[in-house]
Amino acid sequence: MQHLIGEETVSSEIRKALVETLRVGPATIGPETSIVRDLGAESLDFLDLNYRLEQTFGIRMARHFFLEHMEEMFGEGSAIDENGRLTPRALAVLRARYPEATLPEHEDGIDMDEVPSLITVQAMTDTVMSILDTLPAGCSCGASAWRAEDGTHVICGTCRQPATFTNGDDLTRQWLSGLSEGSGLP
Amino acid sequence: MTGYGMITPLGRNADETFARAAQGQSGIRPITSFDVRGLPCGIAGQVDDSWLDDAVATHRNGRLASRAVRLMLLAATEAAQAAALTDVEDRNRVAVAIGCHGENPSIEEILFLHRFTDGNGRWDAAGLAEAGGYDVQQFFRRKPDVAAALVAGTFDCRGPNLTLVSACAAGAQAIGEARRLIAEGSCDVALAGGCEATVDFVGLVGFSLLRALAERFASPATASRPFDRRRNGFVLAEGAGAMVLEELGHARVRGARLLGEVLGYGDSADAYRITDSRPDGEGAALAMRGALDDAGLPSAAVEYVNAHGTSTVQGDIAETRAIKEVFGTRAREVPVSSNKSMLGHTIAAAGAIEATLTLMGMERSVILPTINHEVPDPRCDLDFVPNVARRQPHRVALSNSFGFGGQNASLCLGCCDG
Repeated sequence: MQHLIGEETVSSEIRKALVETLRVGPATIGPETSIVRDLGAESLDFLDLNYRLEQTFGIRMARHFFLEHMEEMFGEGSAIDENGRLTPRALAVLRARYPEATLPEHEDGIDMDEVPSLITVQAMTDTVMSILDTLPAGCSCGASAWRAEDGTHVICGTCRQPATFTNGDDLTRQWLSGLSEGSGLP
Repeated sequence: MTGYGMITPLGRNADETFARAAQGQSGIRPITSFDVRGLPCGIAGQVDDSWLDDAVATHRNGRLASRAVRLMLLAATEAAQAAALTDVEDRNRVAVAIGCHGENPSIEEILFLHRFTDGNGRWDAAGLAEAGGYDVQQFFRRKPDVAAALVAGTFDCRGPNLTLVSACAAGAQAIGEARRLIAEGSCDVALAGGCEATVDFVGLVGFSLLRALAERFASPATASRPFDRRRNGFVLAEGAGAMVLEELGHARVRGARLLGEVLGYGDSADAYRITDSRPDGEGAALAMRGALDDAGLPSAAVEYVNAHGTSTVQGDIAETRAIKEVFGTRAREVPVSSNKSMLGHTIAAAGAIEATLTLMGMERSVILPTINHEVPDPRCDLDFVPNVARRQPHRVALSNSFGFGGQNASLCLGCCDG
């Protein structure tokens, strides 16, 4: 955990990034706003959005979605079945990842294409917070004097080097292995 | 069509490329021309350049040409020689239409320029001049229109001169627009084609950022796997393709050999998103129907589809849907194959190379395979001519090319009776 950059700051920076990337009015953005469904973002917009957040906070966002990481870690077909729908295992991970999300109700399961719609402003905020929370106890120079420069960049108060956080893909992988060891996913 | 030529990762000319493709060979290899360590994809379809420089040295404009344009000049030479283009008397009636993107700046060029700027918009122009100045050839290499200009100059084509800059649809659009120029009477003959050489650091980084390239594969040769369940992106490739198109009566009068016919051309736009294709394949279907309408043929006449089939997850599904939309209950009976499984994706050249391979296949009664088709995907459930070429006479085909920005082009091609 870190206490230098609060959730308020993160969500306000995400709003700012959304306004700049998607040219939408700030008033249309609430915590439960879906970035794809409500704001019309497409895949290219996420690259732009992630790039802005990386520049703002000095972090690395994940390049791959958790479903892709599952396929990589647990084997082909572990997340997506042959018809492009989520496996029971992927559904359990999805619920853990987005506990607040209302999942679409279909008899024949959720299509992988429906998943991006579940990413809300709050979910994005949680993702950035989780990366920021990987701030190590001390800097590689030995000091433990982190401080937030400009409110968003964590630097070492002694050597002034920027902090290094775990990158988004590594964090997703760590989270997935923790999840599968801990709670016995199907 | 009275002549064709190409240079691809599989061959130095059209015959070599076709022969290797008919054996199901892959032209994809690890990238050797620059350092790819740390990049998520380090493979591509590259043209062997050990002989390339010598071959281009004979061209008057070879020096000014980017790598893509040098490939274009080679393919155009092969096509022009086959068609005996120099025999055409009225040079004002010979058009050129080329799909081309300008060359990406090289890291060396960026580094060199970097020495003369303070990063805040101020340039040390005197210092730049002292260091030898900026090479004017670089300026030409960025310009996409130079390909059509150099081809026109080299082959003395003084009619309409078009450049198509429409990503993966460019090569097919060049051929389609050439057909239109001939049909509307603006020219008698057209040299049409496309070229691409973006297997460089900037090109690879750009497509990697878009997450468009294959990143998970057992070996380079199996990375491009259109319509297979394990596909996960396309493989970048370089090459060029050219054909000489000619008004039928004009070709007959001068006794040119007829090698095939461009029967129709359809084009459309998804008007959807910049990098995602429409999931329902509606734009692609519109282009295919347009090509058939232009040819005055029903979909029942089509005996083969040369697919765009890039090996991306969503693109292949959308194209499958579009083919089903156009062919209805017959969709599963029509052989559909993707040359990109062997050649990789030659972007602006792809449409020209693939249309030519389609016409060559008709001439030889051979349908080229989709290689690396191992694990069927229920969402892509057509006859993809898996892994082995098929000996089968066919007389009418569609060749599809769909661009990254939603530009869709489809050519209806026909066998010639001579």
